[in-house]
Amino acid sequence: MNNTARKGGVGAAQIILGLSIAILVIVVAVPVLLIFVNAFWVDGALNVKDVIRIIREKDTYQALVNSLIIAAGTTTGSTIVGTFFAWLVTRTDLPYKRFMKAMFLVPFMLPSFIGALAWKMLLSPRAGFINRFWMGTLGFEEPLFNIYSYAGIVLVEIMYLFPFVFIQVCGALERMDPTLEESARISGAGLFTITRKITIPLALPSILSGALLIMLYSMAHFGTVAVLGIENGIFNIPTLIYQRIHQSAGSFASIRTGTVLASILVMAAALIIWLQGKALSRGRYQIIAGKSFRPMELKLRALRLPLLILCLVYIAFTIVLPTVVIFLVGGLKTYGLPFTWENLSLDNYKFILFDYQVTRDAIWNSLSLGLGAALITMFAGVMISYVIVKMKVRGKGVLEFLGMLPFSVPGSVIALGVILAWSGRYGPNLYNTVWIILVAYIARYMAFSLKANSAALEQVHDSLVEAARACGASMWQALKDIVLPLVRPGMLAAFFLIFLPSLRELTVSIMLYSPTTRTIGVAIYTLNEDGETVRSAALAGIALFLIITGQTLINRFAKGRSA
Amino acid sequence: MRNRLIALALGACIFLGLYGQAAAAGQKIIIYTSMKESLIGGIVDGFKKKNPGIAVDYQSAGAGKLMAKIAAERESGKILADIIWTSEVPDFYNMKKEGLLASYTSPVFKEVLNPFDDFDGHFTAARLGTLGIAINTKLVKTPPAQWADLFKPEYKGAFGVADPALSGTAYMSVALLEKQFGWGFFEKLRDNKARIGKGSGQVVDDTASGELSASLAVDYITNDKISKGAPLALIYPPELLLAPSPVAIFKSSSNLDAAKLFVDYLLSKEAQTLIAAEGTLSVRTDVQNKPEHKLPPAADALKRAIKIDYLQMMASKETLIKKFTDTLTK
Repeated sequence: MNNTARKGGVGAAQIILGLSIAILVIVVAVPVLLIFVNAFWVDGALNVKDVIRIIREKDTYQALVNSLIIAAGTTTGSTIVGTFFAWLVTRTDLPYKRFMKAMFLVPFMLPSFIGALAWKMLLSPRAGFINRFWMGTLGFEEPLFNIYSYAGIVLVEIMYLFPFVFIQVCGALERMDPTLEESARISGAGLFTITRKITIPLALPSILSGALLIMLYSMAHFGTVAVLGIENGIFNIPTLIYQRIHQSAGSFASIRTGTVLASILVMAAALIIWLQGKALSRGRYQIIAGKSFRPMELKLRALRLPLLILCLVYIAFTIVLPTVVIFLVGGLKTYGLPFTWENLSLDNYKFILFDYQVTRDAIWNSLSLGLGAALITMFAGVMISYVIVKMKVRGKGVLEFLGMLPFSVPGSVIALGVILAWSGRYGPNLYNTVWIILVAYIARYMAFSLKANSAALEQVHDSLVEAARACGASMWQALKDIVLPLVRPGMLAAFFLIFLPSLRELTVSIMLYSPTTRTIGVAIYTLNEDGETVRSAALAGIALFLIITGQTLINRFAKGRSA
Repeated sequence: MRNRLIALALGACIFLGLYGQAAAAGQKIIIYTSMKESLIGGIVDGFKKKNPGIAVDYQSAGAGKLMAKIAAERESGKILADIIWTSEVPDFYNMKKEGLLASYTSPVFKEVLNPFDDFDGHFTAARLGTLGIAINTKLVKTPPAQWADLFKPEYKGAFGVADPALSGTAYMSVALLEKQFGWGFFEKLRDNKARIGKGSGQVVDDTASGELSASLAVDYITNDKISKGAPLALIYPPELLLAPSPVAIFKSSSNLDAAKLFVDYLLSKEAQTLIAAEGTLSVRTDVQNKPEHKLPPAADALKRAIKIDYLQMMASKETLIKKFTDTLTK
């Protein structure tokens, strides 16, 4: 069997492998490598002294510390919130659990920088609607809460990132074999002991892996810190890179600082990914999947109602309120007017959709970039995953290593790497065109596609292909008629996992846009920066509408398929 | 199979779509400007009506971003724009020095006010931007009469200046205020907890919402919001901040004649009337300001304006911005 495969496929296999390696090298490896080279290699010599000098500069050092503070706070907070809610909806008799679970996943769709904009409108110290109510109507001297602070940034990040932990822990608690807990109970252990000795250790790998994912995200997030931090002088690594490059119109010194900071991000990310791998490998044998027992539900008794109210209030405050504020402000004639009927209209929405060149361009750019990146990444992802999961060719190890890269490279690093790689020094100059954003999106979202496609491919057993080959099908036929139809759901999943997030992408595009190539995220951000608050809110409202509609359609579609 | 065809078709559409965007279309002039949509949109429409044969495309963005784009375009060999019109005067001296600008003295030039003593045709002022103090009329009962009033406790933690790294007008005004009052002015502002905002429009919106009581504000941005009902007023202290907005033609333009026509139109009474209607100063003495904008007449404004040496300013941009940021955040 192996021999026949060889005969028909040696050339093809090598070509596919080569192509896969080439794609990953060009799209991901070269930009990352260039960052390290530019950071550590000056005028043809290794230069560590300069790197240390840059890190010790007050601004850079502070940005590093800030990134750490924000990541640590966000990770701790999200882990607590996510685990608690996951436990509530899987292990207790809380009413309306299905609805709650669906609602807790909504923040996945909401871009956190839009959330940050909404919270700025609600809680800016003097003019935020809540603070004004607090001071004006209730008569307090000091504002209730100042959103322009570390605490504000961390809280907003928690609100929009906790689902990463929530979804992981929900899965673990649902899959966990209840007999373990039951036998402990039969042996006389109390609830507290069971939770401490059995439930938490079993769920720990999932909690940890979710927490590390959040750490990876929040360390390299641009939007929230840009909206809430910059005015109070709170910069993290991505916002500092953005400001430096913006200030000097791309001078070498600022790019150099950027590369040093980016190198640190990459190393931190690699460490996190490594830790996550450890956490997951420890957990794998502990959770016994596939049992159909329903875990025991804890009776909340007197706490049932208060906890229900807590959940509803949480949902109202973190999801409903910010969304409503965005839509309302988007309807105002100008920012600063009260919400009365004569001040509200649909004019901004109309202007943005039909008359305003900047926003029309932005919507078109985001849609076409999203579609383009999703399609290309989907097909490339299938091919690369196929080589990694299914093919037995020499040199696969290189590809496996390269395939890990996209997971560990944060968005702002990709953006900087792409600037270095594609601004004419080593080939075509794509800077200031849509193409550079497309390349960056492909690099950024390759990880999603690889994950979805390799999961789908792992489920296709080799015997199916072997059977087809035994019946005389060529390798190409076997691929086309057996493998592709079976992995199609994985491909579709990859497509949407890329298309929807790219509609609201900000971290990468903010570094790469030019006046004609704004994306929706960039347009919202720059309109806000330019003081077009009501228009930026209206565009944010339109973006929310697009994303939520898209997600709902996909959920429908996915349900229809599996039924 | 059908699915794959659809996907392919979609792919082709996107490809063509992106390509169509990237490719520059044929005969037309391209304008890079830092003027906001409300100002540039009407002027371009008027020009097109007068010159139906010429297509016009424009990019409106902050001056810093536009200069970065031009720098990148120079690297790749061709500046796409034919015309540049922003408010960051030192940039124009820079571009002139580097030989990027075509010299053109419009026949209309003799009709307009000229704020540049060393005018030689490389760039012409097409607007006189003024900056004043925007106040929230609900929060501030007695408007400030002079710059020093900003040190009063009334404005503690509630006066904002846009980030000069982002906004050309903020950079110009910081330079002018430093020239007039020295760094002591900004130290006193810091003692009163003045804040650095983001873009030049955002500080105005923050003033309208009440987050700030007052801010350093550009005339037409503030007047636009006032006309929409925002609770704002624009106050001019005696030492006037004036930032001329020059227009220039790139030497590399392949449509020099059309570009010259645009400059002529921009300086004409028709376009200047549009400029004045938006609440900023025209360079023509025969165009009247609208009374509701309470702007000083252009000729007076020029006399009252703080004078500065643009050549010197050009050299010290980065240090000035850094010192300003350090002073206010110390």
